[in-house]
Amino acid sequence: MAEMLKLGLVLMVVSLVAAVALGLVNRQTAPVIAVQQEMAKQAAMTVVAANLSPGDSLAFDSIEVEGLENPYASVNSSLRVVRVTVPPDPQGIGYLFIAYGKGYSSTIQTMVAVDAAGVVAGTTILFQSETPGLGANVTEPGKLIDRLNGITASEAVLTKDGGDIDAMTGCTITSRAVVNSVRAGMDAMDQAGLFSGAAPVDAAHEEAAAEAPPVPEREMAADSALEPAREGGPL
Amino acid sequence: MSLMKDFTNGLFNENPIFRLTLGTCPFLAVTTSVENAIGMGAAAMFVLVCSNFLVSLLRNLIPSEVRIPCYIVIIAAFVTLVDMVMAAYTPDLHKALGIFIPLIVVNCIILGRAEGFANRNPVLNSVIDGIGMGIGFTLAMLLLATFREILGNGTWLNINILGDAYTNQPLLIAILAPGAFILLGFILGVFNIMGNRKGGRR
Repeated sequence: MAEMLKLGLVLMVVSLVAAVALGLVNRQTAPVIAVQQEMAKQAAMTVVAANLSPGDSLAFDSIEVEGLENPYASVNSSLRVVRVTVPPDPQGIGYLFIAYGKGYSSTIQTMVAVDAAGVVAGTTILFQSETPGLGANVTEPGKLIDRLNGITASEAVLTKDGGDIDAMTGCTITSRAVVNSVRAGMDAMDQAGLFSGAAPVDAAHEEAAAEAPPVPEREMAADSALEPAREGGPL
Repeated sequence: MSLMKDFTNGLFNENPIFRLTLGTCPFLAVTTSVENAIGMGAAAMFVLVCSNFLVSLLRNLIPSEVRIPCYIVIIAAFVTLVDMVMAAYTPDLHKALGIFIPLIVVNCIILGRAEGFANRNPVLNSVIDGIGMGIGFTLAMLLLATFREILGNGTWLNINILGDAYTNQPLLIAILAPGAFILLGFILGVFNIMGNRKGGRR
């Protein structure tokens, strides 16, 4: 009996020490990790959006497109599309959105820059954990994602599915996930009337531009784009 | 002398992959490219050394009846700690090694060495054993990854060595799971022949 108690106690102490150590470290690192992820997303937004208008400093406004959801999120969130403007011009030059596609072993998140006419200007893979050496190559430039540049929603179809985009060799599932999710996102934005040729002027943004002197772009970008992500749901 | 023996043990005589056949799950999964092999090897060696150290330190405090659950808790907690700290403070390194960290928990080399060596040897020997085993594991992964990346992708450490004509239509099976088993079989066979010639040991 005493022996049993001793064994239980030892196990309890070991687990307790491990749990306390993990808890303490998690409290220290969780906020830092969140900031890192946010910064990584910000950096990706800046890089991808630069394809829309190279050389200009850009500003991002979050807008909502109803009826578009991340189908793999535990909590449904309507797709948040980010409208890209070149301040002080309030006219949007295009959009950023994240496409979610179920790949071979992960939900692949692709950030897409679309111009106001609905043509893909640039893409980058935000997250994937596909087979290393095979599907994971999707992140490499020169493989799949570069083939998406310059296409419209109706052209985002793999050769195997009757379109013109070649899949990566041996990675049809990964390729199809990316291409189909990009098409689905662009279709939904088209239905929401975003691709009318020129993006609509955001009223709030126009007022702000008229009343206040221009906010430094960096701050503006951080304010507008960070906020929705903090509220919950990616982008 | 004995320290040296503990060190070289992991390299050949008790090479975790080729002689003990331990840890083949992450081994087969990660050896698709040389880059991955190096990353996984380094991460596994780090955890191996640290867990050997801790287990050896606590070897007289932990009753033998509950040693396995204790080791598992120690190793899992340690790996999670490393994962969180790396994600927070070295995000680039974490991005490169990210997929390997959770795989280390299921790497039975670590539990195998805790159980087979560290729990009955002094701290210094255990650390040396961890380094030796880690290097042995890394070298084994490098060997298989070299075959797989060259055959399956035409490259070595992302350097194109077989030319575009091959890279465009490589022997894909080498990079897929069946190729890993086939190639591992060949390598194990060669190692067994060498082991038999060396002194009839099996």
